[in-house]
Amino acid sequence: MRLKNILLVCHLFFLTLFTVLPSEAVISNHKIGEAIRYLPVQDGGRVKPFDTFAKEVLEVVYGKAKYKTENGKNAPAYLVVLTWILAPESWVDRPLFEVNHLDVKTKLNLSSEQKHFSSKDIFESDKFQNLMQELADKVQSKEKLTPYFQALQRLQNQMLYFRELTAGRLLKVMPDVKNPVNSSWIAVADLGEVEQKYFIQISQSVAIYLGALSDQANIESAGKNLDNAVIAFVNHIQTQSGAAYDSTKKVSAEVFYNDAHLFRWTYVFYILTALVILFIWIRNLQSGMNLAWGLVLTGFILHTSGFLFRVYLAERPPVTNMFETVVWMSWGVLLFSMILEKIYKFKSILLAGTLVGFIAMVIADNAPAVLDPSLQPLEAVLRSNYWLIVHVMTITISYSAFALAFGLGDIGLIYWAIDSEKYKDHIQKMTTAVYRSIQIGVAFLTPGIILGGIWADYSWGRFWGWDPKETWALIALLGYIIVLHMRLTNWIGNLGMLISGVLTFNLVVMAWYGVNYILGAGLHSYGFGAGGVEYVAIFVVLHLLLVAYVVTIDRMSKTQTK
Amino acid sequence: MKFSNPAVQKIWRFSTSFQLGIPVLVAITLLIMWGTIVESQYDAYAAQRTVYSSWMMYVTMGLLVYNLAAVMIDRLPWKKRHTPFLLVHIGIISMILGGWVTQKYGLDGSMYLPIGGKNNFVTVANTDLVVYATFDGDNYTKFYEKEVDFFKTPPTEEKPVIVYLGKDQIRITKYLKYARVSKKIIATTDERAGDMIKIQLQNPNVKQVETLIQPSKNKSAEVNLGPLKIYFAHVVKDKGRKDYSKNEIYLNVDEKNNINYSFYKISESLPFKTGRIQVGDVIATGWMGLELRLLDFQEKVKEITEAIEAPRPTPLTTAAIYLDFKGEKQWALINDVTKFFTNNVAYIISYQNRRIDLGFPVHLIEFQMTQYEGTQKAKTYASRVSVENKQLHIPTESLIEMNEPMKSSGYTFYQSSFNQDEKTGEPIASVLSVNKDPGRWIKYLGSLILSLGIIWFFIQSRKRKTAQ
Repeated sequence: MRLKNILLVCHLFFLTLFTVLPSEAVISNHKIGEAIRYLPVQDGGRVKPFDTFAKEVLEVVYGKAKYKTENGKNAPAYLVVLTWILAPESWVDRPLFEVNHLDVKTKLNLSSEQKHFSSKDIFESDKFQNLMQELADKVQSKEKLTPYFQALQRLQNQMLYFRELTAGRLLKVMPDVKNPVNSSWIAVADLGEVEQKYFIQISQSVAIYLGALSDQANIESAGKNLDNAVIAFVNHIQTQSGAAYDSTKKVSAEVFYNDAHLFRWTYVFYILTALVILFIWIRNLQSGMNLAWGLVLTGFILHTSGFLFRVYLAERPPVTNMFETVVWMSWGVLLFSMILEKIYKFKSILLAGTLVGFIAMVIADNAPAVLDPSLQPLEAVLRSNYWLIVHVMTITISYSAFALAFGLGDIGLIYWAIDSEKYKDHIQKMTTAVYRSIQIGVAFLTPGIILGGIWADYSWGRFWGWDPKETWALIALLGYIIVLHMRLTNWIGNLGMLISGVLTFNLVVMAWYGVNYILGAGLHSYGFGAGGVEYVAIFVVLHLLLVAYVVTIDRMSKTQTK
Repeated sequence: MKFSNPAVQKIWRFSTSFQLGIPVLVAITLLIMWGTIVESQYDAYAAQRTVYSSWMMYVTMGLLVYNLAAVMIDRLPWKKRHTPFLLVHIGIISMILGGWVTQKYGLDGSMYLPIGGKNNFVTVANTDLVVYATFDGDNYTKFYEKEVDFFKTPPTEEKPVIVYLGKDQIRITKYLKYARVSKKIIATTDERAGDMIKIQLQNPNVKQVETLIQPSKNKSAEVNLGPLKIYFAHVVKDKGRKDYSKNEIYLNVDEKNNINYSFYKISESLPFKTGRIQVGDVIATGWMGLELRLLDFQEKVKEITEAIEAPRPTPLTTAAIYLDFKGEKQWALINDVTKFFTNNVAYIISYQNRRIDLGFPVHLIEFQMTQYEGTQKAKTYASRVSVENKQLHIPTESLIEMNEPMKSSGYTFYQSSFNQDEKTGEPIASVLSVNKDPGRWIKYLGSLILSLGIIWFFIQSRKRKTAQ
């Protein structure tokens, strides 16, 4: 009798729990066949939806978040990664592993024209083993890794990810309630007997669903089957793990964030704004700015919401790696350009702002290998620190103002190159705007550096330690202060001001990108990365050429008038 | 400001001009750019020594302060519109001054605290050459101590650094900033030298080779393999077990040069297995299927250090000097001690980082570390320490965390890093950075003044037309 009562109470308890909280809270509003995307997975120090997990794994292995199949279609990451687990042997011959480094390709006898190679091409040769030994020796010596060794390290990671995933050891799907050491979750390969059964149900449904997709028949019923299998699995885990599974609440929001591509829409709106302003400008229209404002504000709202989404998902202001600072910096560019545009009504300021914002966001959204968009946990030294957030955000927003000055300088130089007399008025406005932007930048960078000093004093015990990151921020500041003082004494005219806006920005590029990606030294090592050096170099050289060209034209026209 | 003497007036004009100010700013910019490159090629210490604390830096900084001050004086009498300009200049001068005070009078070092242990010394970057001497082998007296800067003025064969010790002398003939070091074991006839054994522990999953050398005769050697500790030349019968919380293996050599082993389980005072082992023999230990094999045994050996110059520092390189005592030549690493013997005196020489006595010890009670869920990545780490207050003589306990320093007797203690056991990966010690900064308030005041000035400037210049 008593036992019966207890069972009844338990039953009622779980019944209410199910209707109020669990599976519906974790997985809801999904499209047919996509419930699997919402499956909570523990990876990289946090719980994320399988959708994000698959994208990140595919980005490591393949270099992109979508796989291009033989018939030219794009297969989404979650399906591709599922097939690795289900049928690893079907991938042996498929080009899956991205190799970019030329030396590595040559050493592995790979074609230098191809980008992707099959596991058979790479891992089955003795040469691969030799390279791994070479890497191990280098790591042992504790010397800095050159780009070649970084490429080898990536190759090693690609192999490990693929191997561990196909073996079921990478995909952690269930909290370990009995043994909560380090709150590590249980991987698919180590699931208990009952959970295994549920998981096999998912696997079988995936196989049927994939078959249905390729036959283009019974897709809906196969999809529903798969969804039911996933929901049954999640429900089961929920009953087994209870509170430990609570951290899965955010997965729905994260899948939504993955699908919305807010940053892509952001740059679409920015370029539309720029085009509208260009049209107004070239045609010398009196109206139309309202349209431009509407577009830019829409883009800005999308930009802001994307940023806020990351704050919500990562539970911290996202300004701790290159990707995140690019997003934040371009947000600042738009903010400053809108404010200055509102004050001066030059049109050019908003044009420069949207162009810089567009370019920055395109780069951020399309270079995951260099600018890693995944949400990573913070290094110990950066944790729970108010000053960190304040100083990084202040310094980076000053880079926004300098980037705006840079964009304005570029446009001004192009006008100068076309006809400095005819566009005198435009150029004068550009110069004013460059000067103002630099002032804003200095007004943020100086306190930013000081705040950085306060943080360093608080956390490391010294206000200023000539660390390369802080030193380069100071170098950039000195550069702009020199420019402002030279303007003050009339050592530089309008052309000089435009050139300064463009050239001095190279110091910011060095402080922001160069210290982490080229120098690779110092205490700010948690932000270090690799890649993109050649593109940055091209960017710098192109602008040097532009400046040289404009200066030459200017000299020539002056000698002619004499 | 005007001077009647035209020459003085000319110099003053120059002092207050941008012709001085801008080149100085450019010079500082270039200098510190160079500094960051040195740091990326070598390390922070090299950058500090070659650039940031070089005479060039002092000269340019001095010129900057001079220029900033001269410009202010030149504007006398000041008007209201000068305020932001004055604030900014005073702010910068204070910050440079504060930095100088810190460098001159501050303390910035690190403290190594083994778990459960204590320390009252802070290690700083300055280096000293120290020699101790003993006549009876027990009582050492400091014989010689001198600050040396081998980084800037290294000793060479031609210009050695010589330490005179009565009739004897120690010559330092080489210095390597970045040395790759290898240790070699050689036989010696020295009566004070100890013995060496080489063992291997093996099961299907693990294969571990260890070499244990007695530091000198009658001293023991040990190695920690996590759940298991191995000791060489420690007789339990005479001295007792070393660590009851571990499984232990003791290996001893008797008078007839036989090697005896005894295995102890956790907390038991009697061995569960004893016996004799010869080179080449294999014995089952009874733990996790581990087998113990004796690979080698040598009597009377000493370990010598060989150093090869490396072009750049890595985490494995260290500074090294080459010592010559009556023709006996050997390498010594920074913070190592080297012994030289004559018939009646023994000398210990050390090229070492200066250790400053705080006057009170810091005890490390506990070291805590948490990790991100499901990873080995450290999330937080903290040291629970106890310090005896100088005035009150009462030990106070506090927790030093990342970004949460402890203040005591004018010093600030920061959690800097921790050391792990090479084999087991368990944390074995906490590293604190210890700091005293008398220039701090000057820098903070300067920062405040500078920030005020910049904001003021910004508001004021909105009304002016400099931009056009």
